[in-house]
Amino acid sequence: MKTKRLLLISLLMLGAIILSACSGRPLSNNWPGLAADAERAYMSSGSFIYSVNVENGREAWQYPSEADNKLLFYATPVLTQDGQLLIGSAGTNHPFISLNPETGKENWAENFSGAKGAWMASPLVFNEKIYAPNTDGFLYILDMEGKQAAAPIKLGGALWSTPSTDGTLLYVTSLDHNLHVIDPVQGVIKETIDLGGAAPGSPAIGADGVYVGSFASTVEFIQSNGNHEVITTAGNWIWGTPVIDGNTLYYADLDGIVYSLDIASGSQNWDGVQPDGPVVASLLVVGDQLYVATESGSFFALDREGKIAWEKIPGGKIYTSPVISGELILVAPYQAEFALVAYDVEGKQAWTFTPEK
Amino acid sequence: MWQTIIIQPMTNLLLWIYDILGHGPHMFGLAIILFTILIKLLTWPLNASQVKGAQAMQELQNDKEWQDIQKKYAKDKEKLAQEQMRIYKDRGINPFASCLPTLVQFPIIIGLYQSITRALSATPFDMLQLARTVYPFQNVENIIPLNSTFLWMDLGRPESIQILGFGLPTLAVIVALTTWVQSKLTMPASSNPNDQSAQMTKMMGVYMPLMLGWFALNFASGISVYFIISNLLGVAQYAATGRANWSNLFGGGKPSPAKKK
Repeated sequence: MKTKRLLLISLLMLGAIILSACSGRPLSNNWPGLAADAERAYMSSGSFIYSVNVENGREAWQYPSEADNKLLFYATPVLTQDGQLLIGSAGTNHPFISLNPETGKENWAENFSGAKGAWMASPLVFNEKIYAPNTDGFLYILDMEGKQAAAPIKLGGALWSTPSTDGTLLYVTSLDHNLHVIDPVQGVIKETIDLGGAAPGSPAIGADGVYVGSFASTVEFIQSNGNHEVITTAGNWIWGTPVIDGNTLYYADLDGIVYSLDIASGSQNWDGVQPDGPVVASLLVVGDQLYVATESGSFFALDREGKIAWEKIPGGKIYTSPVISGELILVAPYQAEFALVAYDVEGKQAWTFTPEK
Repeated sequence: MWQTIIIQPMTNLLLWIYDILGHGPHMFGLAIILFTILIKLLTWPLNASQVKGAQAMQELQNDKEWQDIQKKYAKDKEKLAQEQMRIYKDRGINPFASCLPTLVQFPIIIGLYQSITRALSATPFDMLQLARTVYPFQNVENIIPLNSTFLWMDLGRPESIQILGFGLPTLAVIVALTTWVQSKLTMPASSNPNDQSAQMTKMMGVYMPLMLGWFALNFASGISVYFIISNLLGVAQYAATGRANWSNLFGGGKPSPAKKK
């Protein structure tokens, strides 16, 4: 009898442990978010936001000082011109907070906690207002002190991407396959365009419209009046934000193919360049080089003809879009030996950063 | 291996049902219900053998010969075990028949939990994993993201109803209650104070509702929907075979006397 009782309890415990171990909510896991100014890099990674001195790769501060199991940071922190670092939590508690980028201390007397869902997306600061997309499907509008400045705009599906602006209108993608064109003065949706697939990346602002990649494996061009057309396709899902550089549109897909499209003619500049693995991160153009991070854990610099100038292998998997800080390119690999690595434009490693445990 | 054999087929089945249903609001909840019914149908023979096995074991506890050998070899465990095995063999009883379906439930529950969280893709990383899980024939671009709303619930989160500022875990209570009802209905009464099987069943009747209630309290409510439907179907199955012990629910269950074989 004792053996049976023990067996029964053990089975139940085992079930509980396995279920606990594979628990998906509170949000299980995600790759880091990365932003930088000329002095520091700001990396959201799980329970913490780290500030890293770009000169030497040393930690400047971390927020919070002790892990809080109800807070998780997956969105990319956003720096504002008035010296704030904005980010929302994707944990079971989801405050939207403002930090002092120099000290890591909270700026606002009270964090904004009016959203029902997690914060996966970064906000856009435009005309002294914070436009913060939430997974509850609302675009929240706050003033620079974190108070609600206007009624939130209901967009529908979960919002994972940062809004873009052409200086007049806002463009916001939602996971329910739509791109919304919003008039921020009126606080209304002007147009909603069905993209044919979820769009987790932000729209890229072009001269007379925006370009959006989606899980429909297409890049769509959308004008402010709602006119839109598919201008090019890919072999698989397009995750990151396309990059516009002059007349060229760069984008990549989950097959790992990097494309270069001549916007004027609509023709490809090169035949599918395929570095070494699926590309989730947005591409980065600096000077004459195009930087590509792959899920296979490699980081490539391509020239304008699509030829590999150099390749580095930070390891792990790279989903986070690389950023530039001064002369350095910063890369945040996921599940790697280190959390952040800096390369110069020649590919020489400057430093790595690993948070203290 | 786990991924290929359990997670991938389960996730794809869920997505396929969801797609057929039209992938609108509440449809993922409905997909979980249909999935549960399908699993119940597939494991029907196994559950039937569990009922049969439990009944046989229960009847054995009240059997005169069985009780005699318990007394006779009370101090000789080895001999007692030999005699018990002989009786099992003579009467064609598999002592593990009642445990097997419970064991089968565990991978299903764990697999379903992982499939639900993967299908609902709460984070970009989950979404990327989902992209690798779906079979090529699925029309996945069209159906994701899944609508996780079902009635008043978000199927990807633990459920509670806010009443006067307090979160009342309605689903956890229903899970515990239906599990308790199911175990009560399937628990045969016994007159034998040394009836190990009855004690074991009684123990299950206490632990299982608490454990499943705890699961429902802490994990995605989609799994609670599975528990509730599975419990209700279990009750229906017992009722259909005429074995449900309704009197046990209200404390009126009469023990059956020991009988001579």
